[in-house]
Amino acid sequence: MTDSKPLTGGGLLFKVLEQHGVNHVFGYPGGAIMPIYDALYDSEVQHFLCRHEQGAAFSAVGYARASGKVGVCMATSGPGATNLITGLADALADSIPLVAITGQVPTAAMGSDAFQEIDIFGLSLACTKHSFQVSHIDELEKVLHQAFEIALEGRQGPVLVDIPKDIQMASIEQTFKTASPLKNKVKLPLADISKALDLLTHAKQPILYVGGGVGMANAIEEVRTFASKTGLPSVSTLKGLGALNTSDKNYLGMLGMHGTKAANLAVHDCDLLIAVGARFDDRVTGKLDQFAPDAKVIHFDIDISEINKRRIADAPILGDLKENLPLLTLSLNIKNWQEKTQQMKRDCAWRYDHPGEQIFAPAVLKEVSDLMPENTCVTTDVGQHQMWAAQHMSFDDPSNFLTSGSMGTMGFGLPAAIGAQISRPHDTVITVSGDGSIMMNVQELATIKRYQIPVKVVLIDNEKLGMVRQWQDLFFDGRLSETDLADNPDFIMLATAFDIKAKLITKKSEVTAAINEMLDHDGPYLLQVKIDAKDNVWPLVPPNSANNEMMESA
Amino acid sequence: MNTLTLNNYTLIIMTDDKQVVLERILQVTRYRGYLINGMTAKVNTGTNIATIELFVSSDRPISLLTDQINKLVDIKSVKVDNSASQLAIPKPPQGTDSAGIRNVLR
Repeated sequence: MTDSKPLTGGGLLFKVLEQHGVNHVFGYPGGAIMPIYDALYDSEVQHFLCRHEQGAAFSAVGYARASGKVGVCMATSGPGATNLITGLADALADSIPLVAITGQVPTAAMGSDAFQEIDIFGLSLACTKHSFQVSHIDELEKVLHQAFEIALEGRQGPVLVDIPKDIQMASIEQTFKTASPLKNKVKLPLADISKALDLLTHAKQPILYVGGGVGMANAIEEVRTFASKTGLPSVSTLKGLGALNTSDKNYLGMLGMHGTKAANLAVHDCDLLIAVGARFDDRVTGKLDQFAPDAKVIHFDIDISEINKRRIADAPILGDLKENLPLLTLSLNIKNWQEKTQQMKRDCAWRYDHPGEQIFAPAVLKEVSDLMPENTCVTTDVGQHQMWAAQHMSFDDPSNFLTSGSMGTMGFGLPAAIGAQISRPHDTVITVSGDGSIMMNVQELATIKRYQIPVKVVLIDNEKLGMVRQWQDLFFDGRLSETDLADNPDFIMLATAFDIKAKLITKKSEVTAAINEMLDHDGPYLLQVKIDAKDNVWPLVPPNSANNEMMESA
Repeated sequence: MNTLTLNNYTLIIMTDDKQVVLERILQVTRYRGYLINGMTAKVNTGTNIATIELFVSSDRPISLLTDQINKLVDIKSVKVDNSASQLAIPKPPQGTDSAGIRNVLR
């Protein structure tokens, strides 16, 4: 581009992205976004060509979650835009800051059922925190700034900006003005902590229940200090994993449907539940009216709509965790309760003495966790392997465990790992996937090949949609329906086709060497781990049951 | 047989007169489990602020809806009008500014 070429809407987009510190975007070009891709040609922003727009959205999610920055993805109109939807929904459900840019047919053609025209603005209403459709070039700069502000403000989330092609091509001068806030932000009053202090002072069996909001609020240090100073027995949600210090003797692990027995029993028995950035999700509570049935509740959250949504809070505390949580720090006399929960933890410790020669997935994942370098980022797909990873791997920060929590989206792991690796090029990134999930976005192996992204894939292969098979066995009288994947492709050949080194292991004796080989390999690597198709995830809280009614075997 | 008792509520929503704000409110209201019984909308063209009266019914506490609507970016305020009849579905007032409605609906 010569200096004399006027700035277009497309060029302005990248100027604003640069203003917001965006170095990397993920996308896929097409007709209605061509002026933006033309402007990309002259931009400092590095674009990663994914092989499906859903892959681009999940890479942006992984990028955001691993780095704490806003993830950015782009797609053309019509099918390109609709392919972003699942990623946007996932980001909304897990409160991930994302800005999605979609091309739209020219303004004059809008509403005419034009080629590759879809009302993505309308479709976005249910799966974004907010969305914009730019109707004039003069509003583009302001809208883009607002998109970043909204994505990051309060409870974070995805924002979509739909830009018609003629606006991408229109000439404009950048004003370099940031947008004024959309809402008159009212600083939340300092929380009235007195009721919470009173509840905690009189509690005999309190539990600290930590969720994903802790990492999102960047309040990990505050939560760990609070846990340490109070000595509270603590539990974590799936998305909260990594927030608490796993070596803390009072930490009981994950609670909920596949939580530890100690965590679920302790929560069931507690008389005070201190929920911190957690939202009483149905996978956490089991049968809601029997969740912590005798407990009072202190609920810290940034989002008022989560307060009293699923469980009435006796002491709701709205606002910034970093400011509010330290106010509740007390010296507690709960020695008997601590001893009881510590004994529960000892009694319910994981066992890895799996009979036979076949590989036991929990043991493999425990070993990967023990051997992986410090600050490794692990992503997962969704299913049995996801729960085994959550149960048997240890994480020292929520940004080191990226999993699709609320939406439970198969196909998340591989593209999220790509995004994570690009945001943290010096850290090891491992994706734990299943033979069902990996096929959901398998085309992203081509993205790995193109950019030689050194993601390690641990593929737990039971030739089944394992979690659905487990439920069919347990709750549908063993009537297995459409869960057999014995005709999967040869994953070693598949990886090799993408120039990715790969290895298959089938016996316990091969595990340690294979993990070390994978971790020592400089480039991308796929480790296929064959396991017994009948292995189940335990414990399991059956549907419509209380958490203390968990099953530990079939 | 459904034995749930539905309560009627009138919400007074003040909002910037922005693109699809009404569509956003209706989507949230439906998704969160509230039946829409009626509505009125008008815009103060001087301030560009729209006032929407929304008549809804549900077995759920109304705070679950007001908190969600209040989160929408363009919303200024949401109030439950306790003075309004909770038994009858109010009719839209006569003489509502149709031009104003058009702005909100755009």
